[in-house]
Amino acid sequence: MNRTVNVVRMQLINKQTFVWVPLIVLGASFAMSIAIYAVLYNAGIPGPFYGGGSQAPLWVLLFVGVSSLTLTFPFSQAMSVTRREFFFGTMLAAAMCAVILAAVFAIGGMVEDATNGWGINGYFFALDWVVASGPLGAAFFYFVMAMLIFMLGFWSATIYKRFGATLLTTIWVGIGVLMIAGFWAIGSFDAWVEMFTWFAELGAVGFAAWGLLLTVVLGGISYLTLRRTVP
Amino acid sequence: MTTATPVIEVKNLTKRYRDTLAVDDVSFTIEKDTIYGLLGRNGAGKTTVMSILTAQNFATSGDVRVFGERPYENARVLERLCFVRESQKYPDDALAKHAFGAARLFFPNWNEELARQLIEDFQLPMKTRIKKMSRGQLSAVGVIIGLAARAEITFFDEPYLGLDAVARQIFYDRLLEDYTEHPRTVILSSHLIDEVANIIERVLVIDRGRIIMNEETDAVRNRAANIVGDANAVDTFVRGREVLHRESLGHVASVTVLGALTAEDRERLAAAGLDVAPVSLQQLIVRTTQHAAAGAAASDEGALR
Amino acid sequence: MIEEGRALFLQIAESVEDAIIDGSLAEEAQAPSTNELAAFYRINPATAAKGVAMLADKGVLYKRRGIGMFVAPGARELLLRERRAAFADRFVDPLLAEARKLGLTPDDLAQLVRDRASAPAATTEGNVR
Repeated sequence: MNRTVNVVRMQLINKQTFVWVPLIVLGASFAMSIAIYAVLYNAGIPGPFYGGGSQAPLWVLLFVGVSSLTLTFPFSQAMSVTRREFFFGTMLAAAMCAVILAAVFAIGGMVEDATNGWGINGYFFALDWVVASGPLGAAFFYFVMAMLIFMLGFWSATIYKRFGATLLTTIWVGIGVLMIAGFWAIGSFDAWVEMFTWFAELGAVGFAAWGLLLTVVLGGISYLTLRRTVP
Repeated sequence: MTTATPVIEVKNLTKRYRDTLAVDDVSFTIEKDTIYGLLGRNGAGKTTVMSILTAQNFATSGDVRVFGERPYENARVLERLCFVRESQKYPDDALAKHAFGAARLFFPNWNEELARQLIEDFQLPMKTRIKKMSRGQLSAVGVIIGLAARAEITFFDEPYLGLDAVARQIFYDRLLEDYTEHPRTVILSSHLIDEVANIIERVLVIDRGRIIMNEETDAVRNRAANIVGDANAVDTFVRGREVLHRESLGHVASVTVLGALTAEDRERLAAAGLDVAPVSLQQLIVRTTQHAAAGAAASDEGALR
Repeated sequence: MIEEGRALFLQIAESVEDAIIDGSLAEEAQAPSTNELAAFYRINPATAAKGVAMLADKGVLYKRRGIGMFVAPGARELLLRERRAAFADRFVDPLLAEARKLGLTPDDLAQLVRDRASAPAATTEGNVR
């Protein structure tokens, strides 16, 4: 167990990857969003303003997930760490990162609510649909989203390391095709309204629960793949 | 001699990649507190064998036991091993101190004092990112980890390739010093056979996936001799003996012959006016490897017919 | 110092024997330890240990429990006897072989030996081997 915790410390050697880049992206994205909202607000537009800026730090986690394998797995093998210790230690590191991110988002959301959008009716953290579940629900949602995106990166990197670029590309293309087919199916049954209703009823927490399931499934696949991966 | 305890037992280990046989039905035992030389050409299978022993790579078939257990995903066994690769990858942002810090976390016998001394000996820059280090400095990081970890079984896979002659000598000296005070099992793979000849107790030669020699170094040392002189006289003398290598220039022939020379042999040689030159360990192993390759080629041809 | 083509442990043993014969290592003196020998020659301590063990078996060294290996009384005599017996094989035979090659008879050889022996100062300065 101790060794697994030490894997967290090993991952944190790459401070740029795990700490600085996410923070910088978060900060920059926030600053830019607020700046744009301020300009619009001062130009007389009432708002409320929503942007996609808050997604940016989450997508960074895709990169973090990939790097956590590619940059550190070979070294972990040299440190005589088992693949299981590496996997769980890395997940622990990711979870810590996700918890912090979720806390920032949840608290940020509460602040935004209280200040009526930073006084300019601009919302970065508090998306209606998410905030509707309350701060705990919002935190859970962001936590799962962070873990899911991290896992997407980690899982992709594991497949790449074990099977190569061709298989990985094929899988992603396959996923893309499936998604397009799905949208087409929804469209041909004219079921968009149903779908959105389902999402709304599910709520952020429900959606996050499915996301958690997906994360665990991808985690399982990564673990099994990792067990036969050569550094 | 102390009684031997095997710490690694390999039985019929085979590793196949698609169409190549990297390791071909290899069996050997590694004993406790002994320094082994794992010698062989590039691509002979040295790194593959060491990777499989440390569960970094996987056998196609065969059995590997380290401390009596299978090493795969076995933290209890693995934490007592250390495998320093040639061109090891390190975390992207890592400085040397991060690598050593991590080693301190994972190797229970890690000695900080020794690490500090080695950092000084190798003049390792502590403020440079590992990915920006020179080949020699990168090798030094690996060597320092391997030495200071004081793991019960330490593998060195030519990690000193980037080191210059002075640094290599420092490595050999520190290895011997630390080994003397803290005996452990060391497996050293190398091309530079003559440099390590005096350090290794046993010689394990691997060629194209097969073990072709597994002996005590001293037993091998006088295994062959170079007979030089008039070609006819030389050929007469070596008749009936196994010849590893023959060269000739005009009337003079130089033949590497297998088999220790008895006093009688030496008298005969002196009488025939032939010179005897010793064969270094490196020469012997090189010739034996070439000889084995020639033999294999001949039998391959035979099989094809 | 270390020769190719000969077992290391034998060479280590010989170097200790040489020291005993030339008097630099006296009887009842402490012999260099295994680790000292290994460090000096930069060889594996196990090999040095083998050499020392061989000398102990031969009766040249003996062990004082808890202290180390010491030169046995009579060791020098023992070694001299051994070396004298081997002298003919090691030195005289090659000498004769070389002499034969050069067309020198045993009598010529004997004369050369007598000449050289009677002019020691000149020989030690002149013979740079």
